[in-house]
Amino acid sequence: MTQPLNHDAPVLELDGLTVKLGRRTILDQLEASFSGRAIGLLGPNGAGKTTLLRTLLGFYPPSAGGAKVFGRELATEGKQIRAEIGYMPESDAYISSITAIHFVRLMAELSGLPSEAALERAHEALFYVGLGEARYRKVGTFSTGMKQMVKLAQALVHGPRLLMLDEPTNGLDPPARKRMIDLVSDIRDRGTSRIILSSHLLGDVETVCDEVLILKRGAIADSCDLEADRRANKSFVEVDLEAPSDEFDRAVGALGCEVASLEPGRLKLVMPADLSTRALWTTADELGVGIRRLDLKRDSLQDIFMRAMEDNHGGV
Amino acid sequence: MAVYERIWRRYDGSLTPLRWRPAVITKYALAEAFSSRIFAAFYVLCLLPTAIGVFLVYLSHNVSLLQQVGLTKEFMGGLTAVFFQFLFLWQALPAFFVAVIVSPSLIAADISNNALSLYLGRPIDRRDYVLGKMAVLFLLLSPITWMGGLLIFILQAYLEGNGWGFENWRIGTAYFVGHITWIVVISLLTLAISAWVRFKPAARGALFGIIFILAGFAQAINAVTNTSVGDLINLTRAIYNVVMSIFGGPTHGDLPIALNWFTLAATCVLSIWMLHRKLRAHEVVS
Repeated sequence: MTQPLNHDAPVLELDGLTVKLGRRTILDQLEASFSGRAIGLLGPNGAGKTTLLRTLLGFYPPSAGGAKVFGRELATEGKQIRAEIGYMPESDAYISSITAIHFVRLMAELSGLPSEAALERAHEALFYVGLGEARYRKVGTFSTGMKQMVKLAQALVHGPRLLMLDEPTNGLDPPARKRMIDLVSDIRDRGTSRIILSSHLLGDVETVCDEVLILKRGAIADSCDLEADRRANKSFVEVDLEAPSDEFDRAVGALGCEVASLEPGRLKLVMPADLSTRALWTTADELGVGIRRLDLKRDSLQDIFMRAMEDNHGGV
Repeated sequence: MAVYERIWRRYDGSLTPLRWRPAVITKYALAEAFSSRIFAAFYVLCLLPTAIGVFLVYLSHNVSLLQQVGLTKEFMGGLTAVFFQFLFLWQALPAFFVAVIVSPSLIAADISNNALSLYLGRPIDRRDYVLGKMAVLFLLLSPITWMGGLLIFILQAYLEGNGWGFENWRIGTAYFVGHITWIVVISLLTLAISAWVRFKPAARGALFGIIFILAGFAQAINAVTNTSVGDLINLTRAIYNVVMSIFGGPTHGDLPIALNWFTLAATCVLSIWMLHRKLRAHEVVS
């Protein structure tokens, strides 16, 4: 029996989700839970990002474990889950012989909108993605960028609670990529739809997402809450001293910094939000310690990603 | 809200029932089929046998008109079972051509454009998708086959009176069961071929090959083995014998009618298996 939608449930819960295609294990015992507005799936090619999305859509059956979307069980409530989802696939997917308005309207009706509402929403969706003037052209005549946009339009035409975007900026030139990211960010900020964004472009994920799941060879390599990190407003500083100094280590520790010694004379500091680098310069001056280099930076997604990708041999 | 305002909002209106979603696929596929004027004209032509049948039945009962042109009620041999069998053939044949014209683009285009992931990413499954596409052929073929046939049968029964309809119930049954069976078989077969052969002319060629070349091959097997065993792969012979058995007329070959039914059923099962193998949101490489 269909369960009513649980509005407080996490967007996505993975419970030992395993997917095998043939004899290959594509997803291996994924365990995670996400409640953010926008969830990023990161990983190199072949990591299992697209397979995870397709599994959530019911295209591939789990070999073991399971998953929940908005509290609904993937195994038993596939149709109900898909009714809540708008899916933008990675590869070209459209009906070339019909006009964009016809195409998006068809997809809206398939999602359950009555015919008239579907037509109205199709117009809105196409204007929203910037294809208003091209909506009576056949989709087959569109450029790559326009095809990406029409795919986005069909994914959001029915106002889904969850948008699944698989490599949405694929094949786009920089202005079109910016426009796509701006659109996705706008949808996120409106707060009526949650987003799962699969991409291997760190910048896209960092711009759009609050939470990130990093996959590597079908397993979870790392996951992080970018929004929490942003809120914490932590700054990372790498300091190269002219000579190792235990006094300096202790002094910056007393200022509230977390200190990690990378090698003698080279420190990595996590600074509290209210501390500026000027305090470090002053402390060094008072102790007579020379600073050769001071590099202030956040622990970017790239750092997290690269750490996650390092295997035992340090390779990716 | 004006559509040009470029604002996105959630949809909070009513939704259509899940069970009616396949009808959306049907609606759009039918609209696309009739967007071709040539096809629309051809389809009207396919209604001609039914129109002629209605005219002949009407004429046969219009004694005064027949007398004026110097004919009797039996001017064309009378409205016997043979007349209805002949009419059946002239309804089934155009239906096959309609299926050949329409079906290659029903699934092949979706597969070529990777559109299946868009359909199946929504709350419909593969069965709904096939039902939606099959309904296109059912709705197209029904008026020119069993609906037209039953119309003629009912008209004849009405004009003839005297319990003619009850006495000749086999004719009505043959029109209904025979045409429905033919529609189901040909729809599944053409959809299966459409799923596997993406190039339209090749798909049409494959359909003709299965229907006519296979029939020729079956005849050759019969001739070589001096039996009717070749009829097991002869679709046209199978449907002919099934329909004739319902009409109560003579059948071809020595095979029991049950084996003709088996041929048709096996074709349906094979077609469903082919559709099951091919209709996936994404290719699975094992």
